[in-house]
Amino acid sequence: MSQITIKDISLQDYNLTERVKNLKKAYFRAMPEICVERPHWITEFHLKNNLFKKDKITILDKARAYRFALEKRTPVIWHTRSYEKGMKPFDIKDTSLFAGSTTSKFKGVPLYPEFIALALWPELWTISKRKSNPFFLSEEDAKKLNYDIFPHWMENTIQELARKKYHPPEMKVFERLVFFLASKPNCISHTLPDFSKAINKGLRAIIDEAEERKSKTPDQSKIEFYTAISEALEGIIAYSKNLSKKARELADKENDPALKKELLDIAEINSHAPEFPARTFREGLTTVWLCWTAIHLENPNVGLSLGRLDQILYNLYRKDIDNKVITINDAIELISCLWLKIGDHVPAMPDAGEQLFGGTGSNQAITIGGVDKDGRDAVNDLTYVMLRATELMKLRDPNLNARYYSGINSKEYLKRLCEANVNTGATPALHNDKAVIKALTSKGDSLEHARDYGVIGCVEPGSNGRSYGATGAILFNLTSVLELTLFNGRHRHTGMDALISKETGDHNAFKIFDEFKNAFAEQTRWLVEKAANLNNIFGRIHQDFYPTPILSVLFEGPMEKGKDVIQGGALINSSGATIIGLADVADSLSAIQKLVFEEKTVSFRELLDALNKNFEGCEVLQKRLMNPDKTPKYGNEDPAADTNVRWIVELMDRAFGEKENYRGGRYRVGYWTMTNHAGFGRLMKATPNGRKAHENFTSGITPVSAVTPHLTKALNSVAKQPVECLSSGVALNLKYTPEKDNGKMLDNFAASVEGYFDDMDGKRDGGMEIQFNITTHDKFVEAVKNPDAEEYRELLVRVSGYTAYFKDLNPQMQKEIIDRTEYLLSTGKMIPFEPFPLHER
Amino acid sequence: MASRIKRTMLSPISLMPEMVGDFITRFGSKKLKEELCGEITDKFLEILLGGMDIAFTLSSGYRKNIKGFEGRYLFRTADNLVSASAAFKDGNMHVHEDSIDDWGARVTFKDAKALRAFLFSQNQDILNSILANEVEVDGNLNYIYKFGFMARDLAKRLGVG
Repeated sequence: MSQITIKDISLQDYNLTERVKNLKKAYFRAMPEICVERPHWITEFHLKNNLFKKDKITILDKARAYRFALEKRTPVIWHTRSYEKGMKPFDIKDTSLFAGSTTSKFKGVPLYPEFIALALWPELWTISKRKSNPFFLSEEDAKKLNYDIFPHWMENTIQELARKKYHPPEMKVFERLVFFLASKPNCISHTLPDFSKAINKGLRAIIDEAEERKSKTPDQSKIEFYTAISEALEGIIAYSKNLSKKARELADKENDPALKKELLDIAEINSHAPEFPARTFREGLTTVWLCWTAIHLENPNVGLSLGRLDQILYNLYRKDIDNKVITINDAIELISCLWLKIGDHVPAMPDAGEQLFGGTGSNQAITIGGVDKDGRDAVNDLTYVMLRATELMKLRDPNLNARYYSGINSKEYLKRLCEANVNTGATPALHNDKAVIKALTSKGDSLEHARDYGVIGCVEPGSNGRSYGATGAILFNLTSVLELTLFNGRHRHTGMDALISKETGDHNAFKIFDEFKNAFAEQTRWLVEKAANLNNIFGRIHQDFYPTPILSVLFEGPMEKGKDVIQGGALINSSGATIIGLADVADSLSAIQKLVFEEKTVSFRELLDALNKNFEGCEVLQKRLMNPDKTPKYGNEDPAADTNVRWIVELMDRAFGEKENYRGGRYRVGYWTMTNHAGFGRLMKATPNGRKAHENFTSGITPVSAVTPHLTKALNSVAKQPVECLSSGVALNLKYTPEKDNGKMLDNFAASVEGYFDDMDGKRDGGMEIQFNITTHDKFVEAVKNPDAEEYRELLVRVSGYTAYFKDLNPQMQKEIIDRTEYLLSTGKMIPFEPFPLHER
Repeated sequence: MASRIKRTMLSPISLMPEMVGDFITRFGSKKLKEELCGEITDKFLEILLGGMDIAFTLSSGYRKNIKGFEGRYLFRTADNLVSASAAFKDGNMHVHEDSIDDWGARVTFKDAKALRAFLFSQNQDILNSILANEVEVDGNLNYIYKFGFMARDLAKRLGVG
């Protein structure tokens, strides 16, 4: 039965309230400020309790540390001041409906010295003024970090602890940065808790459950686990009570009766939630929000995601609407305030990180729509309320993802999702339920759990609050595998004298294409082994030094097993590897297959010479390599090219799938690249698909730009790839041109999505995910020229997974987005364009 | 480089206010300023470590950076033609012109220019130099981050940061 009661699903008559408009304006005006509060309290606790000297930090140690920090942290009700570009302070009229914040700042940069905050050390005097995405840092706070905080962590960061304890040889490969990146030195990685229990039972009831379980077990490690749960939750409750107390203090001093009432409302709500079951929609949102701040106190702000909020909050929403406690307008205002709170922090990024991966937010995915655990239509009124809030706010964080099950969800819903993309230019990303559920069940998830998936970080699917997926654990540069194969175990970036992997034959050794493929497969297995080994080592360090009691509360499994998620407490314990460079490598294999082995028009030696010369003097060959009429290209329904893609994704799935992670789960593979395809592209030399040195690779699972003239063919090539090999998610990035006839455009838009998702009666799996930029080439070019112009300051783009503000991206990434294939939906054809020159910032 | 005797003679200056110490450090680090701002020479590493040594002696504020810090660094070119080590202990810096084995962090750099870019360039940082293959780092990366800060802190005190 449909849960839709609103008449106009676009909710176009609803707009932002003055409160939200003011907050949004301040949000875009404010530059991020580094906050030293968390590292200060955590460091102090470690010093007082001698934790820096311990061989192992227990979950109870951690829980007590977080309780200490939660009790001590500043209870900010409304922010009053922030800084804008040029480090000028300005006043904020903050009247958010939610109290508290991720940091003590209006838009903060939380620091986690346990991970990579120390990489900012050399920049402490300059970070406020750096060219790329500066962070405000006061001199006083810089001194505090330099003298009082960072020195204590020099021997105690995750990376250093792993190096000291295991001396892993894989670390050298990792530190060259061109083979793979391991996320664990930076974060616990992308994952997806569930707030239902916290909302419906309240944290006090969870404490009671932990105490009861503790009283019934003789197992010391379980006793410690349950005690830790209680400690951590008492911390969250104390923080909420402090907010309540502060709000009441402010109310006492407030003369404006309207503001006084708002403060008293906050005081009342925070005295109840999250300790007790939420009674109203607003209390439910408050519980989510306060648990979320606690999760970010515990875990770095990298890809932690909120799950299916339209499902878990629907009953409270419905009740309040039916009882006339709130209106739809109130609900949109509440959601808008929450979205701003969720986006109130930015990950700490050193300058080189900005240059390689710049512009990323915290990638906090929220999922709406799709089907429920029983396979029924789950789209409800709140789905549309969240969609409308997202459309009006156009924020980078949270990253909205919409599920669609063809035949179960309505066509009107799909069309509305397309409309939101046109109106925002970039969001939400669309996920094909049928294909995703098949991918998850192929890896062993139950049908019920698979149907209840949420999106993690960028695009990765995981069962909501059951799958501790760590989906971004490994970022694997597939083009380095190609490099090692072409150059017999050596890599031009690290120097041709050094044998990096193993010798699998020089170019003379390959008589047929299959021999070359065998060598490629061997190099793949070598690099996968290194990446998985190192990830497992970092994982074991997390187990010894970074237990996660707060996250464990919000998963199914840890409470029953008496075991932290980091120890394998969750129901599903996979890890994720995402692959960068799929299309470029596949097209390179196709070029080698056709030109070198089949036609024999180019010798391997000639090809390698051309690559080494970066095609200087070999322009004819380069043109041929880039021409889809002469060389097979993925994205044109060319059987040879598409077969090579399939061969690679199956190879990657096998190579990673046979590896066990440190929690006893298996690795899953995805194809979403964030900005890594630009970052790795910058490091890599020319490739056999005609790409010149240092140019971008192609994002996600997307075919290479400008070689796929027909939209339908491009979509079909992707949709025929086997989803069981793509279980950690894909990002297909497309650019559609806005058209004058909006109605017709939306029809074509929805039809293109339906066609791409279609499984053709089981003849193929259908595409898993698709995301868009609906902005013209010219507008992007203008935005590069005038980044601070009002119309471009909020220009939202899809990168490869998450959303970002175009102005924040580094020049290489801006170029990549501008140069993406752009299709006119009314013709289904590519719009020709001149490649945009790489510019200086 | 400041010898132990020199250090003993100069150390009373560090009892003066931080600003005075910084002023005298600026005065005594002319060569380093030249290396940082102008043409770089093969003596860059030696002059940098010498400049830091003097600054630790003269400036109470700068010396605070190494209070309680124990760390041993080895800097060298890939061909080992240039190498120097710096050890921090008991609030002092000890610079040696030869190699040491028990380093906590080792920096292997292509040439003086690469080392300067690694430590001082405004638009580059430590990771960027590693990406460009101009510098290779072994050991505890956090030591490198700390050294990077101390180098830039000195530049700031010399008025060139």
